[in-house]
Amino acid sequence: MPVTAASDTSPLLAVRQLSVFYGQFRAVDAVDLSVRAGEVVSIIGANGAGKSSLLKAIIGQADRIEGVISYCGEDLAGQGTAEIVAKGIALVPEGRRLFPSLSVEENLHIGWEVGRQGEIGIEDVFGFFPILKERCRQKARELSGGQQQMVALGRALLANPRLLLCDEISLGLAPVVIDSLYKLIPAIKARGIGILVVEQDITRSLAVADRFYCLLEGKVTLASRPSATSREVVMQHYFGL
Amino acid sequence: MAGAWANQIIQGILLGGLYAMFAIGLSLSVGIMRFVNIAHGDLIVLVSFLLLTLTTRLGVPLLVATAIVVPVAFVGGYLLQRLLLQRVLGQGVLSIVLVTFGLSVIIQNALQGIYGADTRLIQGGGIETETIQLAGGINIGMLPLAIFVFAVALVFALDLLLYRTRLGARIRAVSDDVASANLVGLRSAHIYAVAMGIVGVTVALSAGFMSVWTNFDPTSGPSRLLVAFEAVVLGGLGSLWGTLAGGIIVGIAQSLGAQVDAGWQLLAGHLVFLAVFLIRPQGLFPK
Repeated sequence: MPVTAASDTSPLLAVRQLSVFYGQFRAVDAVDLSVRAGEVVSIIGANGAGKSSLLKAIIGQADRIEGVISYCGEDLAGQGTAEIVAKGIALVPEGRRLFPSLSVEENLHIGWEVGRQGEIGIEDVFGFFPILKERCRQKARELSGGQQQMVALGRALLANPRLLLCDEISLGLAPVVIDSLYKLIPAIKARGIGILVVEQDITRSLAVADRFYCLLEGKVTLASRPSATSREVVMQHYFGL
Repeated sequence: MAGAWANQIIQGILLGGLYAMFAIGLSLSVGIMRFVNIAHGDLIVLVSFLLLTLTTRLGVPLLVATAIVVPVAFVGGYLLQRLLLQRVLGQGVLSIVLVTFGLSVIIQNALQGIYGADTRLIQGGGIETETIQLAGGINIGMLPLAIFVFAVALVFALDLLLYRTRLGARIRAVSDDVASANLVGLRSAHIYAVAMGIVGVTVALSAGFMSVWTNFDPTSGPSRLLVAFEAVVLGGLGSLWGTLAGGIIVGIAQSLGAQVDAGWQLLAGHLVFLAVFLIRPQGLFPK
């Protein structure tokens, strides 16, 4: 049974019996999952467990899905990514996916344009990442990997999401840089934003999470709280032992 | 003798302005959407015939007719991209070439059916015969000069639009990476269609100029496409200023070729294109 947070608010995101298909292949298999406002939820699992497919389905980029993805009580079925982002779900994509020939400022501003246009402005992002203010006229392709990831996270935050999806934000980065990115999670959470984190690095992922789901071959094998679960139990479900 | 050559170079530069006008739209579609629109020249001819109808049948002055046609061409370009070209984009180069080639054939035959095969020219209201006398017996036509100045202004304006506005940043973002654009919530199909609408505006403007300067008939499109294509490749893909330079180079080459022998005009342009292409296949000012 999934562990639900001891809160009376209805979830921001409720995924019920979700399956995601690529052609005949079922990448995600009947997953139930929820995220509440101001809650950090981690999804852990090995390569190919369906983590990224799950995020893609939520943002409206999956080929074909079954089941229900409901956001603030509204079914997202049939809605395009632009509509979903404008309603307040933003993705920090795996591999950052910046626009290399655009300046840092232009990349960030695109996040604002596609989003809800709320209280988080570009100065807030520069407050989180002062280095980006210095580099704001440079092209994204000229930045280091860590700075690029800051732009990717800043772009998603500028959409003023109520739900933030983070796909492998630590991939290929130095530990110091990862630390500086993860240090922001509590500040984002404090704004009442729900965060769904997909991460290979189990230790880091569980350290920041209120709850977590472990995926194996597209299915949820464990849903719990980091504090309530021993590392052995997590590893058993991670590898399906 | 030297005066004659200097004159041909000046005339060639001005002719290059018209060629740049043909090529700017193609340069945008190659640079942004990364496809070659085989029907580009035919679209220019199509709008020229539209202008012909407005000016001769309805008696609208050419400037007013062009002002009417420009917004129509924007909407036409938008719909062409959204309803037709977008469907084959990303399916390999061959699909888009075949679709626009088919469009080219359709436009040529439709124009033949409606207007017949006669060669046409639109009256510009006197500007086409006005000239400025320069020292050394060089005459500059007001119309070629106006077209040249307009072409430079258009490149300048489009450069500002692409590199200094939010719309331009969105267009460049989609051009950088369509999949990433979709992933972050940009409406790439709409943005591409707006870009093609802008291409439509340049098509309408170049049709307005072409139809008073040079003769046209329903089959003139491919030769306009060829000149535009040479200007785009010479200048370097994706560079609007390069396209202007490419148009001027083709214009000068043709003009000097014609000075040697009238029959050499077109060939000289193609030979210079081939020569530059061999030495610098990436073009003169690649992005």
